[in-house]
Amino acid sequence: MTEKELFSVVGIRDGQAAVSSGKKARKAMPYLSLFLLAVILLGCLFAELIMTRDPSYLDLANSTQGPSTEFLFGTDTLGRDIFSCIWYGGRISLLIGFLATLLSTLIAVVYGSLSGVAPAWLDALLMRLDEIFLSVPSLLVVIFVQAALGKNGIWSVSVAIGITTWCGIAKVVRTEVRQLRDSGYVVAAKLMGGGFFHILHRHLAPNFISSILFMVVMNVRSAIVMESTLSFMGMGLPLETVSWGSMLSLAENAMLTGAWWIILIPGLFLVTVLMCLTNLGGWLQSRLRR
Amino acid sequence: MRRKTRKMVYYLKKTLVFLLSVWILSVAVFILARLTPADPLQSYYGERVEKMSREEKELARGKLGLNDPIHVQYARWAAHALRGDFGISYKYRQNVTEVIRLRIGNTMLLGGLGFVLTFAGAMGLGLLCVWFEGRWIDRIFCKLGTLVSCIPEFWLSLVLILIFCVTLHWLPGSGAYSVGSAHDPADRALHLILPMVVVLSGHLWYYAYMIRNRLLEEVRADYVLLARAKGLTRGQILFRHCLRNSLPSYISLMAVSVPHVLGGTYVVETVFAYPGIGTLAYESARYADYNMLMVLCLLTGVTVIFCSMIGQIVSERMDPRVRGGEELETSEVARI
Repeated sequence: MTEKELFSVVGIRDGQAAVSSGKKARKAMPYLSLFLLAVILLGCLFAELIMTRDPSYLDLANSTQGPSTEFLFGTDTLGRDIFSCIWYGGRISLLIGFLATLLSTLIAVVYGSLSGVAPAWLDALLMRLDEIFLSVPSLLVVIFVQAALGKNGIWSVSVAIGITTWCGIAKVVRTEVRQLRDSGYVVAAKLMGGGFFHILHRHLAPNFISSILFMVVMNVRSAIVMESTLSFMGMGLPLETVSWGSMLSLAENAMLTGAWWIILIPGLFLVTVLMCLTNLGGWLQSRLRR
Repeated sequence: MRRKTRKMVYYLKKTLVFLLSVWILSVAVFILARLTPADPLQSYYGERVEKMSREEKELARGKLGLNDPIHVQYARWAAHALRGDFGISYKYRQNVTEVIRLRIGNTMLLGGLGFVLTFAGAMGLGLLCVWFEGRWIDRIFCKLGTLVSCIPEFWLSLVLILIFCVTLHWLPGSGAYSVGSAHDPADRALHLILPMVVVLSGHLWYYAYMIRNRLLEEVRADYVLLARAKGLTRGQILFRHCLRNSLPSYISLMAVSVPHVLGGTYVVETVFAYPGIGTLAYESARYADYNMLMVLCLLTGVTVIFCSMIGQIVSERMDPRVRGGEELETSEVARI
């Protein structure tokens, strides 16, 4: 009996070696996802060069036109050129995704580290609060914050999404910091009079950054989804501010006329970006796994 | 005897934490609601506010207690709320509880059934993937799952409506029942199909993937080697040992995922104009119906806190290992 056969009895499936579980194969770099993401990102950044028409111009004579050589992706019910809107609006969708994630990561890192270095009772309190926050459906909180902030703009939407999506990351940061806080270099930095933010910046953050990176990428994803969902429901960006979500808020009218391109095209771009981000996140996670 | 008291203390502690959480939630929601720019007089008197003079407005404010400091207002609200009086809905001009009572059944049907189906289906899919680990079935499900979980729920709803209602005319695209046949189960089921598909596709894959990974870890444990050496079959090992061992973490995962399933239901309800709590929350946010929004936030919050607590208790009862550190896999769920 060879060595391989010896091990092959183990496990649920014949021929599956139990010893191989230790070294999981690293995922290959997601070239396709990176490429697509880069194309869309560049397209949005340099939207002015690609756009064939002014995305905010309401060409009412040509509203709800199917895709043609003149309007590459057709026009929406207000007569805006969808091809131009995609690039122009993608800029705002992605911007909100990044802004909201930046905000939520900042909150999560500070909150999590604070909870991590705090005495036990404060830590317990902060974590219970985090759980309560995590427990309420974030969509409901966003709706609430939106209602409280009043006017809808890029900033208010980003803030609303940002302050509702930090709980998960905060929990991970706290667990990491709790393991790190008694290590020699942190104690040494403290003894030398280093403040909280100095220690966080120089000693804690570099250590836990790899374990939250995946969640951060996933947060970009969920922020983009949330923006589009909110805008679609008419509670995020108004119709005049072109984004993939607000383009889709015309779907109801489009549905009546069977104008599939108004619904399908922005959605496909949305799904592509989300898919690429997921692949990227998965790859990062498999690379950084300790 | 001593064991009994210890158990009592345990449950007492859980109840206390639960009540405390609900209280904190209600305070937070109350303060948020008071920070909103909307004028409560407007909600109370409707359009008559426009014709009122400044003195009349002041008087009305005093009568409604809006000039009191916020903690006094909260105490009054809490006293009313404890007696089951949550105020009037501005939009429906009815008691908030009354409006909710009419709609909660629909949401329970969609959300509850969706929840059960999601977890039963995820279990089945997860087992299937583990059984055929690494083969094409497993790989197809994993790829498909990643793809489907990337599709935003509202867009999937739109596409489904576009295909099955607008183009094919096979299924109804909105509402919970056709006009006049509210009590016809077949009609209701027909209206439920598309929303249910969306609810399922939003969550099924993720949980199937979770249980797949959990089981794959389990399958490689040492006791499987022993069971195998003892001569048990694959089915026996998988169902009797591995599945049972991964069940506690699955159940606590189920409990903490209630907010995600609920949140998903809200979006789906809105797109399909399904008369439930979700559409109500959406409307109350749009029309500044704060009494309503407040109750809905509380209702959801309480459900969710309650469920995660149940999940904690169940997993503690089933698996003594959890009792020490109570780290639930909340962060895992939050990744969605």
